[in-house]
Amino acid sequence: MTISSRPAGRSVQLMATCLCDAFFDSVAKATVEVLEHAGCDIEFPENQTCCGQPAFNCGDWPASREVMRHTVKVFEGEKPVVVPSGSCAAMLFHGAVLEFEKETDLPAVKHLASRSWELADFLVNGLGIQSWPGRFPARIAFHRACHTRGTGSGDAALQLLQSIQGLEVVPFGEAEQCCGFGGTFSVSFPHVSSSMGCLKLEHITAGNPDFVVSGDMSCLMHLGGLAERSGKPVKPLHFAQILQSALHTHA
Amino acid sequence: MSTARENIFSSIRSALAPLPSRTPRPEIPPGAAEPCWLDRSADKMALFVQRAEATGTRCFTDPSACADWLRTQNVSKVCVPGPLERLKSLCGAFAEVVDTYRRADVDDIDAAFTPAAGAIAESGSIILSDESTPDRLAALAPWHHIALVSRSEIHLTIADALAAHPDDPNVIWVTGPSKTADVEGILIQGVHGPGAQACLIV
Amino acid sequence: MPEQKVELFARRLDPGVQKAVHDNSAAGTLKRYSILGGDYDTPDELRRLAGQIRQHSIEHLDTYLEQAEKSLHRHGAHVHFAVTAEDACQAVSGILERAGARKVVKSKSMISEEIHLNDHLATRGIESVETDLGEYIIQIDGDHPSHIVKPIIHKNRRDIARSFEREGLGDYNDDPETITRRARSFMRRKYLEADAGITGANFVSAESGRLVLVTNEGNSRFCLAAPRVHIALVGIEKVIPSDADLAVLLNLLGRSATGQQLTVYTEFINGPALTGRPSGPREMHVIFVDNRRSEILASDCREILRCIRCGACLNVCPVYRQASGHAYRSVYPGPVGAVLSPLLAGKKFKELADLPKASSLCGACNEVCPVDIPIPDLLLKLRNRGHEEHAPSPGTPPMGAFAMLASSPLLWRAAMQGSRAMNLVPLDKLPLPYLQPWLKTRTLPEWRGGSFRRWMKSRHSR
Ligand code: SF4
Repeated sequence: MTISSRPAGRSVQLMATCLCDAFFDSVAKATVEVLEHAGCDIEFPENQTCCGQPAFNCGDWPASREVMRHTVKVFEGEKPVVVPSGSCAAMLFHGAVLEFEKETDLPAVKHLASRSWELADFLVNGLGIQSWPGRFPARIAFHRACHTRGTGSGDAALQLLQSIQGLEVVPFGEAEQCCGFGGTFSVSFPHVSSSMGCLKLEHITAGNPDFVVSGDMSCLMHLGGLAERSGKPVKPLHFAQILQSALHTHA
Repeated sequence: MSTARENIFSSIRSALAPLPSRTPRPEIPPGAAEPCWLDRSADKMALFVQRAEATGTRCFTDPSACADWLRTQNVSKVCVPGPLERLKSLCGAFAEVVDTYRRADVDDIDAAFTPAAGAIAESGSIILSDESTPDRLAALAPWHHIALVSRSEIHLTIADALAAHPDDPNVIWVTGPSKTADVEGILIQGVHGPGAQACLIV
Repeated sequence: MPEQKVELFARRLDPGVQKAVHDNSAAGTLKRYSILGGDYDTPDELRRLAGQIRQHSIEHLDTYLEQAEKSLHRHGAHVHFAVTAEDACQAVSGILERAGARKVVKSKSMISEEIHLNDHLATRGIESVETDLGEYIIQIDGDHPSHIVKPIIHKNRRDIARSFEREGLGDYNDDPETITRRARSFMRRKYLEADAGITGANFVSAESGRLVLVTNEGNSRFCLAAPRVHIALVGIEKVIPSDADLAVLLNLLGRSATGQQLTVYTEFINGPALTGRPSGPREMHVIFVDNRRSEILASDCREILRCIRCGACLNVCPVYRQASGHAYRSVYPGPVGAVLSPLLAGKKFKELADLPKASSLCGACNEVCPVDIPIPDLLLKLRNRGHEEHAPSPGTPPMGAFAMLASSPLLWRAAMQGSRAMNLVPLDKLPLPYLQPWLKTRTLPEWRGGSFRRWMKSRHSR
């Protein structure tokens, strides 16, 4: 999928993701406000559920395809589909294509793939927004979510964050390492997953940031849960929430 | 014998037959694998010396400086092949000199000179071949190995050296002294091959 | 609940070993990163080019293998083919027996591990000594390598000193330099006594027939200097079109494996030594081994055959760093092993079908792979195959109910709303087997199912 070939109009469909649906309504709200500030007209298809990634990652591709077929139907049309999660976006533009490689409805899946954007990637590389107004006086550690490797998302989110007044990005060690979430991996390999997460938190908290920020609530739910359990002071925050707060100071 | 061969080839062919298309051979752009710091107009000899020293190969241009170094290393028996009379007399001043390498002497000879087929500036490597370096053991077993590199045979890059590969059953690029990091990642030089690698540019 | 095998192994791993594996791997990742980034403006472009060279090579394997065979013949080497591991072992011992060879020195080769060559030679009464320092220690300990480039990453100097003492290589001494010197003088004798040297090959150039061997210690060079017979065991997938391709591949291999521009010794061999030379083999045999590689070529995971065994994916892998190599229960550990090992297992695929699951799918392996293998995609395909073949997968939640829910929007919305009840009960008391492992080390945020939907609706009705 070449990035330039994806549609980037200001009339968009929002995929809120199942995690935001269940736990993180504040992140989905922030996403809406951020997109509206960017001048977008947002359609929220009511029948959306999940991208099917849990089943895909478990190897149950027939189950995952069932969910993806539903998703393809829900998000029909030509508008860009914007997702505030690197991993759900990657499921749409990469995973789905992989699991439908031998299916007859591959073209429909590819059509959705070719319209799908992770939020930061959409703002910067789709809409051409180069900086973000407002203030957010805090020190943050930015965790580049693994599913955004090889895409423009990580750099895009950092670019916007760094343009916000008062915000300081604190670098940390072994930044390329995964947080250990990995979906069902976190429950089928609980020891390995937590060990990875603790290591990540150690690196992150070494620089005493106020927040650990990412574009994926899945990583943040895991890191936040570990931090809370182990009494580490760092709080998780989606980058859209920072953009939203900055907007409020601006207005 | 031939059945194994036929078996393998037929499995390969039937594995590849269903592929709708096959990956074409990529064009390798000239200089594709060159490091960005490489300056094509650089002096090959100067670059070679810089890179060789960086990998732990000592470079000499003056035979007596090279002999002085061997003396400070307390070398006692040196193999200097063929007609290298000057080196023989320089080394003869402090060590026993032999002109052929014998297996029986493997524990006694602690330094050997061998002619090289060339060198690579980009990586600081010495090129040895069967043609240029008659005895593989002589260039490998002694603690000190000194390759005799001719200035005119230094290639600028790895790609250049590959393009000019001598027609020889055995070519080896030597980039620094023999080493290992197997024990706790700690670097130790001189595992099986030379612990001290040098070259004398002539 | 039954546990995943890699998880169990990691949980029981000695913390000292885990730390050693982690630190050594992390150092390797850092070295690779700084030399590649320092030397190339766009290392990813070079990786993609190398990936295409290798993909092209394996997709034209019939042509190039035949060409390599001809080139080797032309230079006086004998070429053999072996379909199975067993055939390959037989080929080696046959050559040795015909040559009257009783003593063999071996340089590190993954394929010889794969076919269990040393065990086979021992049954034939042939002495075979591993000459790579790490592999030698593995051999005397009756152990298995836990990393494809750093075989004893799981051992410390004290372990090694004890093994050397036991083998009569001197009194206990754990100084790495002393250990190395002792190995040096011990190996000297072995090289000089040996009748044959066995090596692998990192690449084979079809055009010239040259086998390329890279090492740092110089042991493979010694195996090709002292003995009179050279046997090279080579996986059929190692062929590349020509010497020119090596400029790309060698520049990536050293940097990816050990953070070096080139390893110390890079050797090119396409025949026995020149006649009349005092050292070097009189006979050269190349055994091309299939051992299921053609089966992998036929599968939808053929990209794994691009692998040049650099070990970068092991170093960067967070699961490998936690679990170490033995957790993978096979010759190839880490991400490459999680793909390759179940494929090489053939009918025993199910026994290793858990390996592709031992990954958070973070993709770091693909990012460092010098030949750009899409390892996460291959892991996913193998998970799907494991599911189709009903391979056991402890701890993996069944997905049927989820799929049903997630494709029925009404039910989904009801579940989102209804699960709010979760906030009212102590979660750690709930009999949900897949929730408890999560809660052991983490908290779960408050369930707010449906809140966003309501907010969205209220905005629209405003
Ligand atoms: S899969 Fe790639 S990174 Fe891993 S060992 Fe093979 S070549 Fe190296």
